[in-house]
Amino acid sequence: MAENNHFIERSLMAVLVLFKESIFSEDCASRKGFLQARDPRVKALMIFVLLLAALFSRSIPFIAGIYGFCLVLALVSSIDILFFWERTLFFIPFFSLFIAAPALFNIFTPGEPLASFHLFGMAVSITKQGAASAGIFFLRVLTSVSLCVLLALTTRHSVLLKVLRVFKVPQIFVMIMGMCYRYIYLFMEIIQDTYTAIKSRCGNISSSARGRKIVAGNIANLWRRSYDMHNQVYSAMISRGYSGEPKVMDEFRAGLKDWLCLGVTLSVFILSLWQNQYLN
Amino acid sequence: MHIPDGYLGPATCAVMYAAMLPIWTAAAKIVKKRLKAKQAPLLAIGAAFSFVIMMFNVPIPGGSTGHAVGGVLAAIILGPWAACIAITVALVIQALLFGDGGITAIGANCFNMAFVLPFIGYYIYRLAGSGSQVGSGRRVIAAGIGAYLGINIAALCAGVEFGLQPLFHHTTNGLALYCPYGLKATVTAMLGGHLLIFGWIEAIVTASVIKYLQKKFPEMLYEEGAA
Repeated sequence: MAENNHFIERSLMAVLVLFKESIFSEDCASRKGFLQARDPRVKALMIFVLLLAALFSRSIPFIAGIYGFCLVLALVSSIDILFFWERTLFFIPFFSLFIAAPALFNIFTPGEPLASFHLFGMAVSITKQGAASAGIFFLRVLTSVSLCVLLALTTRHSVLLKVLRVFKVPQIFVMIMGMCYRYIYLFMEIIQDTYTAIKSRCGNISSSARGRKIVAGNIANLWRRSYDMHNQVYSAMISRGYSGEPKVMDEFRAGLKDWLCLGVTLSVFILSLWQNQYLN
Repeated sequence: MHIPDGYLGPATCAVMYAAMLPIWTAAAKIVKKRLKAKQAPLLAIGAAFSFVIMMFNVPIPGGSTGHAVGGVLAAIILGPWAACIAITVALVIQALLFGDGGITAIGANCFNMAFVLPFIGYYIYRLAGSGSQVGSGRRVIAAGIGAYLGINIAALCAGVEFGLQPLFHHTTNGLALYCPYGLKATVTAMLGGHLLIFGWIEAIVTASVIKYLQKKFPEMLYEEGAA
């Protein structure tokens, strides 16, 4: 019977995980460290350029080098490396490893055999080309995820949203994102409170059909409350002087160290383009 | 369905960004025209709603649970253009602030989940429910069909995007550089999971929420397609 309560536990867990990640991110972003001290605009550009370098590169050692650089950046930015691995290795890269595994075999990637064996009476071999293909795919995904997480861990989320203005994202979108970000936490609190109340009042949910009804009711009620709220929020904005044109306060200042870092990452990107051409 | 960085090559990422640019521009113009000054808080709340829908785990037969994407549901209650913006904002926040989903793949993710999913699902819902009352059972079934087909067509798009990678991006000796599987494998894998499991979850959640709204808050459905 308790199995039918899994959906409540898992929903509560999803909310808690997001809260936990967010608290850890804010904690990391407020520590003293190399990336925390960088101008957020330059830092975002650096990470984006490194992402592009990893995306364009065709060489396993080169992408491994970028990943190594990413780990060094994490270390000098006061991020516990075990926590960083826990945050970056699981889920997307692990899932990608699972996806990449069949590409090792000659069924998907024919080529020079590295190891051969029989599977269900069929001759199967791991090919050199398959290993290279799966390896570059996994390493690229791992490096990209690590870079994105590094940016999120070393920059306050509110600052990161302001940085979007550098990339010429229209102010209205930046404002919507900022508001949305705050509402996500409010909604998560609502979900947490609602499910805790259901759990304490209903005990076990007798069937999965009843469970689905509860979820549908909760989603519909959340939307109803959200819709009602938007009028109140708009009235609050008007009363605080909103005239239809949002203003974002930018107080970023880039120093020599920031520009040097950007120069280094741009060189990495140019190198990736060059070796891309060379390897082609 | 959420494509991380590294799965798609630079050319595909660029093309998907380019494909989304006119859609985002049109969505911004249409929503601004129809929702006027109140657009910002409604869209922000809609985006947050799209984000948290994925946190509602739904019990499925056999004791397991799954979650819906909610793209078609967002389109039915917000309208497809506003849903497009709301889902885009949710995806950007997810990629940028939470490190889930790719930054370079935002164009592709938005094309699949903020354009194909809500638009296909919404217009199938409108077509299947045309001529019926807003509170009718036919609308509930139409919402379920729209959600099921919408998510499957979006999954097909993702499968095609993955499957094109070995064709577009490989070394001279044929080594795949990004997603290593061809169209046959990726389309089968993406459609298999969605046709059998995820599509049904999406359909059940969407239809159940529409049924609940019909019963408890029918006035919310009268505004469908406002944007």
